[in-house]
Amino acid sequence: MVPAKKHRRTPRQLVRGVRRRTRRAAGRLRRVFWRSLQLRVVTSTMVISIVVVAVLGVFLMQQIQQSVLESRVRAAISEAQADRNAVLGFLTQPENDTSERPADQGEAPQGGGDSPLSRATQALAERAGSASRYSVIIRNENLPGEFFGTTNIDPRSVPDRLRAEVKKNEPGRNAPWFLPLYYEGRADAVPGVVIGTRLDTIGAPRLDGGYEIYHLVPLDREEKMLGSLQQMLIVVGSGLVLLLAAIASLVTRQVVIPVRLARQAAERLASGKLDERLKVRGEDDLARLGTSFNEMAANLALKIHQLEELSQVQRQFVSDVSHELRTPLTTVRMAADLLYDAREDFDPMAARSAELMQNQLERFESMLADLLEISRYDAGAATLDVDSVDVRDVVLRAVADSEALAERHSTRFDLRLPGEPCMAEMDSRRVERILRNLLFNAIEHGEGRDVVVSVGADRDAVAVAVRDYGVGLKPGEETMVFDRFWRADPSRARTIGGTGLGLAISREDAMLHGGWLQAWGAPGEGSQFRLSLPRTAGVPLRGSPLPLVPPEVEMRRTWRGHMTPVLSPAAADGGQDAD
Amino acid sequence: MRTSRTRRRAGAVLLAAALSWSAAACSVVPTGRSTVVEDRDQGNPLDPPYARVIAMEPNPSWTPEQVVTGFRAAMASIGDVRYAAARRYLTDDFAARWKPETGVTVYQPAPSVTAPLAEGATEARVTLKGAVTASIDQDGQYRPRGGTLDELFTLVKGPKGWRISAGPDGLLLSQADVERAYEPVDLYFLDTKRQGLVIDRVQMPVDPASTLAKTTVERLIKGPSGSLRGAVETAFDTGTGLIDVTTENNRVVVDLTEGVPADRAAAMSAQLAGTLSKLAGGSSFEVRVNGEPYRSGVPLYIDAQEHLRFDRWMAAVDAAPYYLQDGALRVLGKENVGGPVPGGAGREYTGSPAAAPAISGSAPRHVAAVSEDGRRISVAPLTPDGQWEQWTVGNDLVPPSWDRYDSMWTVDRTGPQTSVVLRQYADDRRQYRVAAPELDTVEVTALKVARDGVRVAVAVKDGTGEKVMIGAIVGDRADSRIGNLQIAMDGDEKQTIEDIAWKDGTALYVLTGKSELFEASLIAEPSQSIPSPPGIRSIAALNKNNSLLAGVEDDDGKLQVLYWDGDTWEPQVKDEKGAAVLGGDGPAFPAFPLG
Repeated sequence: MVPAKKHRRTPRQLVRGVRRRTRRAAGRLRRVFWRSLQLRVVTSTMVISIVVVAVLGVFLMQQIQQSVLESRVRAAISEAQADRNAVLGFLTQPENDTSERPADQGEAPQGGGDSPLSRATQALAERAGSASRYSVIIRNENLPGEFFGTTNIDPRSVPDRLRAEVKKNEPGRNAPWFLPLYYEGRADAVPGVVIGTRLDTIGAPRLDGGYEIYHLVPLDREEKMLGSLQQMLIVVGSGLVLLLAAIASLVTRQVVIPVRLARQAAERLASGKLDERLKVRGEDDLARLGTSFNEMAANLALKIHQLEELSQVQRQFVSDVSHELRTPLTTVRMAADLLYDAREDFDPMAARSAELMQNQLERFESMLADLLEISRYDAGAATLDVDSVDVRDVVLRAVADSEALAERHSTRFDLRLPGEPCMAEMDSRRVERILRNLLFNAIEHGEGRDVVVSVGADRDAVAVAVRDYGVGLKPGEETMVFDRFWRADPSRARTIGGTGLGLAISREDAMLHGGWLQAWGAPGEGSQFRLSLPRTAGVPLRGSPLPLVPPEVEMRRTWRGHMTPVLSPAAADGGQDAD
Repeated sequence: MRTSRTRRRAGAVLLAAALSWSAAACSVVPTGRSTVVEDRDQGNPLDPPYARVIAMEPNPSWTPEQVVTGFRAAMASIGDVRYAAARRYLTDDFAARWKPETGVTVYQPAPSVTAPLAEGATEARVTLKGAVTASIDQDGQYRPRGGTLDELFTLVKGPKGWRISAGPDGLLLSQADVERAYEPVDLYFLDTKRQGLVIDRVQMPVDPASTLAKTTVERLIKGPSGSLRGAVETAFDTGTGLIDVTTENNRVVVDLTEGVPADRAAAMSAQLAGTLSKLAGGSSFEVRVNGEPYRSGVPLYIDAQEHLRFDRWMAAVDAAPYYLQDGALRVLGKENVGGPVPGGAGREYTGSPAAAPAISGSAPRHVAAVSEDGRRISVAPLTPDGQWEQWTVGNDLVPPSWDRYDSMWTVDRTGPQTSVVLRQYADDRRQYRVAAPELDTVEVTALKVARDGVRVAVAVKDGTGEKVMIGAIVGDRADSRIGNLQIAMDGDEKQTIEDIAWKDGTALYVLTGKSELFEASLIAEPSQSIPSPPGIRSIAALNKNNSLLAGVEDDDGKLQVLYWDGDTWEPQVKDEKGAAVLGGDGPAFPAFPLG
């Protein structure tokens, strides 16, 4: 995201954008995570092995560190002990060495000069060798000039707190401290251990008791060694974690691949390929799963086949019955027509009967026609006679056909048609039938109120919506209206003699076009039926130019504070109304 | 099914067996094999261990004398470059005035004397007593000196205890302090012809912030000390810097900021090899420039013995001793059996029977001898057809001495307390007068040029007795000059000098009239390290084992040449049967080439 390129965005917007993106990415990740068993197993293996390796590594490192440092400190302490004895030997040396120079006051006579302490330090320096082994600082605050060090050790390596402890300790007790060591000519401090002791002069009462001896052992080599060890542990640990992850991945792959194959087979099975079978290899659990799956698929195919056969027989039966009924019906019809035409010659009772028979015969005929039509759909024999027509013309024709019925119900049509032509490829006869059905339906349930017919079009699709303000639909009825012989209220009379198959046939017609026929309704609000068709036959429909829920209802809901976007029944129905 | 299970079980047993076997095999510490581990605890030879004084703060409870002691210790603290700790012993006023850098006085301490302190006194006087032994100047030149030390310190009592309010400038260090804080180092410089090496021994303060090798090379690049200034050269250009001296793969790496021209590379190598030879302990060297190989990717490796190869007189390999026997000059050959030298000198020796001959260094060698009356010096080439020729005529000539450039040195004592130093070249026989203002008005009894061609030792007799001085030769031919003369061995009025012989570039043996044998140099007190054999008359020396020779005459007047084997004097000249040769007419007056 490049800020302030064309139109400046506020930081809040930027943050929101970033947050939105992150959320989206996280959602995608979560989806991937929960969809891939392999990824889940590998991730959990990695997490657990990282924890285990980290705990083990830290423990191991601590152990090694402790033992290495301990051994070094122990060695340094023993060296310090030996050095202390040597220093004591120098300090308590009989006066023969120093007698040439008359000693004054009995204490170390030549501070800074050739005092026994300086000779002791020299001896210690030679014993210690280079500063990389260890350095020694000896001092006695009470005596002037009695402050020596070996090689280039900087006396500030011995801090005052350590000296305070050494002075507090009884003589001869070691106080090992881990401290940074400083050297002259070196800018950086070296980690090290300082062992401070007060010289134990109990055996030499003439000596001053204030001698402090510090052994400064640099631990840079140990530090380097431990550092490389730590690095090695990290490398080995991460290698181990990766190895475990790879193993987990391999193992799950061996399990997941057959499962994935089974899933794909099941999917194909579900999509109707009933002869789909799994390859069964070996005799393990997965192989048995495959065998069971295959058995299940075989049984399923058998049952479906049987059901299909049964259904076929039924459909054939219906079709045959319809056909067989037509011939006698034609005869009956002809006879009834004769009777009907001659009804004025009959007495009123007989005339009424003839009229009734005529009506019911017409209904029977249309029902039979519908049954034949729908059985044609069932048999898959329905074909489209596609032609490019203006939807408005189709609507106008359908409305004209319905005028008579509308007048009877004192219903007025409110047509909302766009100004320009809405061309689409369709079978106009079928579409007209759909619209007629919808209009009849609206008039029947409109309770005399206006019926609004609107036409919409966009680049890909055209739509016709028929809106009535009748009793409306109860929740859940939006799909049931398209069922065969369904009626909203079984007690309600069929005033216009619908066969109960009209909407079912309309839906089949719409689907034959690749379009949608959807219903919306709410109790007291009326209902709306929407027909959406692609402009080009056969192209899948992506959306409808008209809303399923009437805009005024939608707006009312929003005002009432239902801020949640309306879950349109169609969307709940199957998500076809993708916007 | 049955078979697979048994097979699996067998596999598990096998695996367990293999695991237990391998666990037993790889124990934690391996045994029974050799291991190669670099021993790093040996320490860095470039930085030998040392102890040093760390300056401490004065303690308020100390007595005046203890404060002075503490001050002395603080002066010896070499890590403290600005003497900040030492100045804390001084009053603020004196601390501002005190100049520690004016030089170092080295003394052997004696008990200091504190003036009696009255109760509640606020001023005290402490006199530091001792014997002055030497001084170290700013160049690092260590000069033995005599005298007594008697330095008065005045102290005043302040709120933080006693502080020194007056005292001497400069540093006062005891002998032990100097031994601890200074390291004697031989710096190798070039003679003016860049053919030989001249050793300049200086005392270097041990710098804790650096290594000894680094400070040594830095000091070498800085140039020679005062006694050799003008008389020696160095291969390094002025402004050359040293980055570091390290060891790498058993080789000492000297990293410079710039190299030297190709014609001086060998000289520089010799200088470095010589200077670092004592520290490096036999390892070879490499010179790098700014961390890169020396010259366009070609590394410059230097052999550990490069300085000995560069200047053959450093090792003095093929120097057989000459001596007089039966009135002729002989040279010692195989198995210490002598034979006459070729030419006239091998048949007849025309020089004084009371003075040693001088042998020149380069082939063909020449022998020079002063006549018995001291008026003539004759020279003979040691070739089969070499004959004696008279070179120099004078009033009273001292025995001649050759330098490494084949010029012969002598001194003509033209009158009492008047000496003229003469130098005569072998190639064109031209003689030049050497300017030596310090010798003009004294009587020179001996003059010996050292094998490095730069240092010269003269025995001088003046009103206070006979003493040995060492100077440096500056210049060539007509510009020759002897300068920087300093006393190497002083003596009382009765002391006479019988003979002097250079041991190496820095030290020489002195034989006194009382038959005492001293080793003298500019940097140490003369020490009578070697007992002299009875009847010793002359000496000759070389920087080599068993190369201190003495011509002796026993009570019966029999002459003999002895050598010092470290414990006793042994006969040097043998006959064919391996018996020591001694007789009334030699062997006598042993002499090595040069020196």
